[in-house]
Amino acid sequence: MSLFHNLVYGFTVALSLQNLWYCFVGCFIGTLIGVLPGIGPVATIAMLLPLTFNLPPTPSLIMLAGIFYGAMYGGSTTSILVNLPGEAASVVTCLDGYQMGKQGRAGPALAIAAIGSFFAGSVGTLLIALFGPPLAELAFQFGAAEYFSMMVLGLMSAVVLASGSVIKAIAMIIVGLLGGLVGTDVNSGVARYSFNIAELSDGIGFVGVAMGMFGFGEIVSSLERAHAAGKVEVSEVKSLMPSMDDLKRSFWPIVRGTALGAGIGILPGAAAVIASFASYTLEKKLSKTPERFGKGAIEGVAGPESANNAAAQCSFIPMLTLGIPTGAVMALMVGAMTIQGIAPGPQVMTQKPDLFWGMIASMWIGNAMLVVLNLPLVGMWVQLLKIPYRLLYPGITLFICVGAYSLSNSRFDVFVTAFFGLFGYFAQRWGCEGAPLILGFVLGPLMEENLRRALLISRGDPSVFIMRPISASMLAVAAFLLVLIVVPQIRRKRAEVIVDEG
Amino acid sequence: MAFRNRDRREFSAGLMFIGIGAFFAIGAENYAMGSAMRMGPAYFPKVLGVILIGLGLIILVRSFFIRGERLPPINWRPLLLVLGSVLIFGLLLEVAGLAVTSVVVMLVSALGGWDFRWREQLVNGILLAALNIGVFYYGLGLPFKLWPPWS
Repeated sequence: MSLFHNLVYGFTVALSLQNLWYCFVGCFIGTLIGVLPGIGPVATIAMLLPLTFNLPPTPSLIMLAGIFYGAMYGGSTTSILVNLPGEAASVVTCLDGYQMGKQGRAGPALAIAAIGSFFAGSVGTLLIALFGPPLAELAFQFGAAEYFSMMVLGLMSAVVLASGSVIKAIAMIIVGLLGGLVGTDVNSGVARYSFNIAELSDGIGFVGVAMGMFGFGEIVSSLERAHAAGKVEVSEVKSLMPSMDDLKRSFWPIVRGTALGAGIGILPGAAAVIASFASYTLEKKLSKTPERFGKGAIEGVAGPESANNAAAQCSFIPMLTLGIPTGAVMALMVGAMTIQGIAPGPQVMTQKPDLFWGMIASMWIGNAMLVVLNLPLVGMWVQLLKIPYRLLYPGITLFICVGAYSLSNSRFDVFVTAFFGLFGYFAQRWGCEGAPLILGFVLGPLMEENLRRALLISRGDPSVFIMRPISASMLAVAAFLLVLIVVPQIRRKRAEVIVDEG
Repeated sequence: MAFRNRDRREFSAGLMFIGIGAFFAIGAENYAMGSAMRMGPAYFPKVLGVILIGLGLIILVRSFFIRGERLPPINWRPLLLVLGSVLIFGLLLEVAGLAVTSVVVMLVSALGGWDFRWREQLVNGILLAALNIGVFYYGLGLPFKLWPPWS
């Protein structure tokens, strides 16, 4: 089937009324949480996972995806209008976007952000369509050893590109792996670490963990950082039309941002955030007038916004084709697919082409919807920003509770969520990030299974991981990444980037 | 080596990892190890547990060599109230039904915030509880008992 045929097929799937509706819902919610500071895509997707149980897989994933890239759009709105990043990847947009707002140019800033994001989103969608099938082809040659090494690589990349302490990130991954092992071992039928509690023998649902660590985690830390529920100063939005000069200046930043974002997005790690920072740095370096940056240079909005959207879209590629999550959001998506009974991996494309191509097509549709949601309807979001957080968050708390309970109609899941909320609080306090843990949680059982199988086939010979070429190269890259982190010069460079970020 | 000047974050993190690692590694004693070729249920958790203990130790020891700042004090109020409200949800739901539990949970968790005003939060509580019920109970048709069993 040619690319064209696949895309057409995808559109017929994506344009069904149900899928269109859920795409819209996802984009709407995504924009909503992107606009509202204090709650981000990870927490939201975690909270909405229970809702997807009752839906067929395609609309569920379309909706969850919409939330993710929708948040990228929404975040820029708050950054530009209020100087508060709606979510992490929009921090950079505050720098010049807000300044433009103060200069009365909020409209063009918003417009360029949306245009750039749309361009990036479209390119991203195209890239997925182009590279998906060949990548999946490659993955068919994967055996158990390759899958294991690939997961190691995925986890290692996530660690390397994450912002905190590497050793703690690795430790968190292991905690996640261990947590995922709780429950009945498929191979031997032994119930591990279940202490005779019936619910535990099914394992700790990762949804509860995610909701607890990310949902409650965000709420409690937002409360700790409580700022007064006073009025927020919102820049006025007059005309949305960017000037010709704006458009000319933004063109190359948008293109470069997209390319950068796409490249970074495919790699595991906190892709969208890194992509937007990288784009800002790049544009500033390339500009003939770098002193304008920080004072309302439109390039400082165009580049990063395109980058973060491109990264968001492209981070789907490894997940959809190979089944490896590139970050917490993708880990949750993998989880969502697993819950629906779909094993993520290259076979998704052939076994469920409606899901694969439908998602790709709907991502493009979603981007189009988002331009409409963000531009003409920006007034609506502005009103929303005026609601004090102290009124909002109890509702979110309740939402999480109900969602947790609805997982299997059991109070146990609610307690699990509370427990991980507590755990997440202290982990974060001590500088340990939650995303590596969730990655580990989702991958734990899979890794064990593949390790087992690989060793079984090789009759206990561990060299199998290095003898097989694909597996060896993946482990080599993982090792290389590890070295990269440990070498001092790179370490200093990394620290620079992080300090700049902070 | 400065115990007093240790970096408290790293110290606590290291301790935590050692604890978790030990929990899993020791717990694995209950199950069969098997061999590398035929991994038993204890194999993976034990190996991982041991690695985790190792990492925890490294972090712990390192903490003595870094000068750390004092951590900000734990703000117990939002933490306990928000998480407490979740526990209350779990405990109250099957007793009092979704509607009552929702409002109670909202009020308790709102107490963890700032600038708490009873009337405002009561209205807010009822509104958002209604929204939640609308989405979950009516919208998705999830099986919940809306009202207490004795009503």
